[in-house]
Amino acid sequence: MASGTDIPQTDSLPPPITERGIVGWVYANLFNSWYNTVLTFIFAAILVLTLWFGLGWIILESDWRVIATLGGNLIIGQYNIEKACPGQDCFWRPQVSLLLVSALLGMAWAISGDRVAKRIAIGVAVVSVAFAFLPYSLERMGLDVRLLLVANLPAVAAGWALARYTPLGSVRWIVILGVLAFLVTLVLLRGLPGVPGLQPVSVIYWGGLMLNLLLAVTGIALSLPIGIALALGRRSHLPVVKLLCVVFIEVFRGVPLITLLFMSQVLVPLAFPEDFPTNSLFRAGVVITLFSSAYMAENIRGGLQALHPGQAEAARALGLPGWQTTMLISMPQAIRNVIPAIVGQFISLFKDTTLVYIIGMLDVLEFGRAFIQGNVAEYLDGTPEFLLFIALVFWVFCYTMSYVSRRVEEHLGVGQR
Amino acid sequence: MATSEATADALNGTEDIIICRDVHKWYGNFHALRGVTTSVRKGEVVVVLGPSGSGKSTFIRTINRLEEHQRGDIIVDGIELSNDVRNIDAIRRDVGMVFQSFNLFPHLTVMNNITLAPMKVRKLPASQAEEIAEELLERVGIAEQATKYPGQLSGGQQQRVAIARALAMQPNIMLFDEPTSALDPEMIKEVLDVMRELAGSGMTMIVVSHEIGFAREVADRVMMFDYGKIIEEGTTEQFFDNPKEDRTKLFLSQILA
Ligand SMILES: Nc1ncnc2c1ncn2[C@@H]1O[C@H](COP(=O)(O)OP(=O)(O)OP(=O)(O)O)[C@@H](O)[C@H]1O
Ligand SMILES: [Mg+2]
Repeated sequence: MASGTDIPQTDSLPPPITERGIVGWVYANLFNSWYNTVLTFIFAAILVLTLWFGLGWIILESDWRVIATLGGNLIIGQYNIEKACPGQDCFWRPQVSLLLVSALLGMAWAISGDRVAKRIAIGVAVVSVAFAFLPYSLERMGLDVRLLLVANLPAVAAGWALARYTPLGSVRWIVILGVLAFLVTLVLLRGLPGVPGLQPVSVIYWGGLMLNLLLAVTGIALSLPIGIALALGRRSHLPVVKLLCVVFIEVFRGVPLITLLFMSQVLVPLAFPEDFPTNSLFRAGVVITLFSSAYMAENIRGGLQALHPGQAEAARALGLPGWQTTMLISMPQAIRNVIPAIVGQFISLFKDTTLVYIIGMLDVLEFGRAFIQGNVAEYLDGTPEFLLFIALVFWVFCYTMSYVSRRVEEHLGVGQR
Repeated sequence: MATSEATADALNGTEDIIICRDVHKWYGNFHALRGVTTSVRKGEVVVVLGPSGSGKSTFIRTINRLEEHQRGDIIVDGIELSNDVRNIDAIRRDVGMVFQSFNLFPHLTVMNNITLAPMKVRKLPASQAEEIAEELLERVGIAEQATKYPGQLSGGQQQRVAIARALAMQPNIMLFDEPTSALDPEMIKEVLDVMRELAGSGMTMIVVSHEIGFAREVADRVMMFDYGKIIEEGTTEQFFDNPKEDRTKLFLSQILA
C-alpha cells in the first residue's frame, strides 16, 4: 500500500504463553470457562463410548459379505445382466464413460492452479485401479473389466498431457469436452440400434450409483442455467415473464419432490408430442432438474438482491447495455455471494436422486435394499453394514462437493475485503 | 470525433456542451428537480454546492440518464436526451461518471475494471484497451496496482482507479458526485490532485463537492442548489466573494465554519 505507513516492529511483544502452542490452544478452546470444561468432558465421554462400541462392532461383529456379493452391481445396477444385454457383455460401456471422466479430471488437474482437481483425479484413478485388484474370481470379474479399470490411470495422464501440451487446455474446452463426454455417455449407455456392439439397453436396467450420478450431473448442469434464467425472469419488468417465473418457482418449491416424481409419470408426457420417446428415466431427470432449478432461482435472486445498486449503475454509466451489465457485473458477483447455498442445493439434489425408487428405478440404495429383501435368509443381517456403506459413499461425494466449493470460494474471495 | 463536435457547435451556434431547459424530475410524488435551467460550456469546470437532499445528485444523474427527467430538455454534446435507446448509449459513451462510493467491480482486477467498457462497448482489441489503461493508471499515479483487486487498495487509490475507468471511454464530459466525501482526510488530496490535472487538460467537468479550496482554485463557475432548483449561479470569485442570496451566504458560512 503506497500511502499506508508501516507499523513499527520494535515495540511488538510476543503473545502471552496461554495464547501459544498446544497447551495454549487446549486451554483457550476447551477449558477457558467452567461450562466449556463441562462440555469438553461430556463430549470426550461420548467420543470414547462411540469409538469403543463402534470400533468393537466393526472389528468383531460386522459382516460385509452383502457388499462383496453386490460388488460392481452397486455401481451399474442390472445394466450387464443377460436380460438387459442379451448375448453380449455390456459392462465396458459404463467403464468407457468412467474413462472419459478420468481424462477430464486429468485435464482439470493440468490447468487448475489448485490441489483440488489433482486430488480428485488421483482419487478416482486410485479407487478404480484398486477395484481392478479385488479378489473376485475371473468368472465374476473378467480380465477385460479389470484392464478397463486400470486404464483410468493412463486416462488421467492422457487428459493431463492433452491439456498441458495442446490448445485444449482451457476452461472453455474442458466445459465443451465435458458436455460432449456426457452426450457420448448417454449414447453409449442407451446404445444405437443396428450398430454392432452397441445394442440398445432399456433404461429400466440402468441402476446403481451410475443412475444417481447421471441424474445428479444432469440436474446440476442444467439447474444452474435454468435457475439463472428464472431468477432474471422473476426480476423482469415484463409482467408476463415475471408472472410465469413466479408461478413456476412457487409451484415447484411448493410440492414435495416425491409427489412430483409420481406426477412425472403422468404429467411430463403431456408436455411433449405424443410420439416423443420419453421414458421413466427421462421423466425423472426432467422433474429433478426443474425442482432444483426453482430453488436455484431463489438462491440466485437472493444474491442479486444483496448487490449494491451502485454496481449496476457504474456499469450502465460506462455505457454497458443492460444484458452485459447483468452477465458481466451483477451475475458473477451474485453467484459468488451465494456459492454455499448453490452447492448446498447441489448436494441435496444428489441425495434426492435416491427418491427415484418411488417410480420403480433401482438406484444404489434401492438396488441393495431389493437384493437384501430377495435374499432375506442369507443377507438380512447385513442390513446395517449395507446402510453404513451407502452412507459412506454418499458422504464421500457430498463432502467432495463441499470441499471443492470451499476452495472455489477461497479463490474467488481474492480482494473481497 | 473532432469534426462531429465542430458540426454540433456549428448547429447550436454556441459552444455549450450541456444545455438544460426547465428540467423537472419526480420520484413518485416527490418533486426532486423543480425546473433547472442552465448550460455548461466546453472545457468548463462547474462545482455544484447545496444542502443534503437539495437534488445535486439527481441533477447530475439526469445528465447521463441514470435518472430519467419527466419534463424539460437536456441536450448533451448535441444529442437530445430522450427515451431513444441509441441516444442514451451514445450519451453514456460520451459522459464519464465518478461516484462517492467508487463502485469499482470487486470481482475484477484493476486492469479489467478499466478495460471492460472499452472492450465491450467500444469494441477495442484487448491489447489496445490495456495500453490505454496503463497510460491512465500512470496518469492517476497507480501504475503498479494494475493486477490487484479493488478490495486490496486504499479508498484514495480506488477512487483514482474509478476516475481512470471513466476516462478509458475517452469521454468529453466527466461528472463527479462527491468524489472525496467517503475518503479519509489524507487521501482527499491525492484524488483532488488528479481532478485538478484533469481540469487543466481541458476536460468539461461537473463536480458535486463541498471542497471549497478545490472549488476556488479549479472551478470556473459555481452553482448552488436548494429544494430542487439552482438558487444562485456565478463565476467562482463572484459566488464566493459576493454571494447575493441569503441562503447561499448561510450555507457558505456553515460549510466554512
Ligand atoms: N431513488 C429515489 N427515490 C425516491 N426519492 C429519492 C430517490 N433518490 C433521491 N431521492 C430524494 O430526492 C431528493 C434529492 O436527492 P439527491 O440525492 O439528489 O440529493 P443531494 O443533493 O445529492 O443530497 P446529498 O448531499 O445528501 O447527496 C432527496 O430528498 C432524496 O430523498
Ligand atoms: Mg448526493
